This record gives sequence, structure tokens and C-alpha cells, in this order.
Amino acid sequence: MSYFINKNTKLAFVSWLVLIVLTLISVYLTLFIDSRTLYVAVALIIVSIKGQQIIDIFMELKHAPKLWRMLLLSYVIVVPLVIGLIYLV
Amino acid sequence: MSESISSNNVSHEDILNKPVLPGDLAMWFFILAELTVFAIFFIGFAIAEQQNSILFSEGKKQLHQSAGLVNTIALITSSFFVAIALNVMHKNEGKRAAYLIVLANATALIYIFVKLWEYFALFEQGIGIETNTFFTLYFLITMFHLMHVLLGMVILLFIAKKAFSGEYSDTKISGFESGASYWHMVDLLWIILFPLIYVI
Repeated sequence: MSYFINKNTKLAFVSWLVLIVLTLISVYLTLFIDSRTLYVAVALIIVSIKGQQIIDIFMELKHAPKLWRMLLLSYVIVVPLVIGLIYLV
Repeated sequence: MSESISSNNVSHEDILNKPVLPGDLAMWFFILAELTVFAIFFIGFAIAEQQNSILFSEGKKQLHQSAGLVNTIALITSSFFVAIALNVMHKNEGKRAAYLIVLANATALIYIFVKLWEYFALFEQGIGIETNTFFTLYFLITMFHLMHVLLGMVILLFIAKKAFSGEYSDTKISGFESGASYWHMVDLLWIILFPLIYVI
């Protein structure tokens, strides 16, 4: 059990680090990408990845019933996708 | 006898691997409802921006992106402390979990102060909710989110108090998990809100 808890804590720390790094990348993305289309697409993909980290690791839904995990994961895929389509189409 | 056979057939690993929804089912329906309301706001904002691209572009330039970045880091860090607190609570260490929740709330206070500073900085520039469509939506969405942060902080204080007084344990943790899940939802919403309003 203690191994399980330590593993979860380590996972949460790695997830926190990933979230911070992705946040910084999305803010300074304009320094590396000139095309607005590409910039918006990359920023929204980053939103989906960050959302997945929060849902699976922080909310601990990775081992939850599939329906609930899929419901939440579909939110962080569908909402950025719709926003992207509105901006780019 | 049948209980004994049944417990012999279920290993500890099986229990850990069994899909379990953390917290109360009612809280998850509440979270879904909240997410839906915010989805309407986010999509509405994107549509309004598409129809008033110059106005929204000018509006975004007047926002303090660094304040939004600080708030993002504050909420992610606060969520991290709550996730750790839940792991600690699984070890039946209620007091340590309570301290971590207080730490999460202290980090969330950074968000509150920065957000209020941001609002007052805009007010000083003569910008308010009626300035234009961009600022109407900016204030509506961010204030609505701020209200959720405040509610989340109250919930966190409530579970910290109960954890401190030993009312939760590894087997009686549903209330703690529900409060933690609500707080992660607040973080999740900001993860979408921040790039939408401040960055892209």
C-alpha cells in the first residue's frame, strides 16, 4: 500500500511539473511560431494534454469507471476542438 | 464461510485495480453541470471573438498576461497540494492532510489577490464591465470562475477541519475526495480559460 501511495505522490509531482512546463510553453509560444493557425492549434493541443493530466492524475480518474473517465476526457478534447474550429475555419 | 471464500478470492491488488469513482456520485454530476455551463461560456467567447476579432485583439493587449500566468501556476500548485493531501489521507494521516489543504488554500489566496489586483488595475484605466463586448465577457467569465474558486476554498477549509479532527480515514474518505475533485475542476476550468482569454 505504501508503495502505491508513494507512486501516486511521485506521479502527482511529475504531473505538476508537466503542467507548469506546458503552461510556460503555451505563453511563450509566439516567440517560436509565426503562423497564427499553427499557434492556436498548438496552444489548444497543450490545453488537451494539461486537461488529461489533471483528470487522470490529480482527479485520479485513470482507474475510475471508463464512462466517467471518458466523459471528462472528452470535455478537454471536444471544447478545445470546437474553439479551434471557430477560430480557424 | 462464503464471506471467507469471497475474501480469499479477491486479492489486495484486485481491490486496488478495481475501477472506483473517487468521492460521491452526486458531486460528479454537479461537476459535469458546472463544466457544461463553462463550456457554453468558452464557446460563446470564441464565437464573439470571431465576430469582433479586432476589438478582442485590442482587449487582450490591455490584459496583464503575466498576472494570468501567475494565477495559472498558483492554481496548478494548489491542485497539486490537494492531490498530495488525498494520498496522505489514504495513509490515515488526517492532520498532515489538513496542513496540506491549508497550504493549498494559501496558494489559492495568491490567485485571489492577483485577480483582484488585475480588476482594480483595469478599473483605474477606466475599463469596466460595460466598456465593450470583450470586457463584458472577460469580467463575466473570470468573475464567475472567481466565485467557484471562493466556493472551492470554503469546501477545502471544511474538509481540512474534518481531516484535522480525525473524521476521515482510508475507508471513510468519500467527502474528502468529493471536495478534492471539485477543486481540481476549478483548476481544469482555468486551464482552458487562461489561454482562451489571455493567450490565443
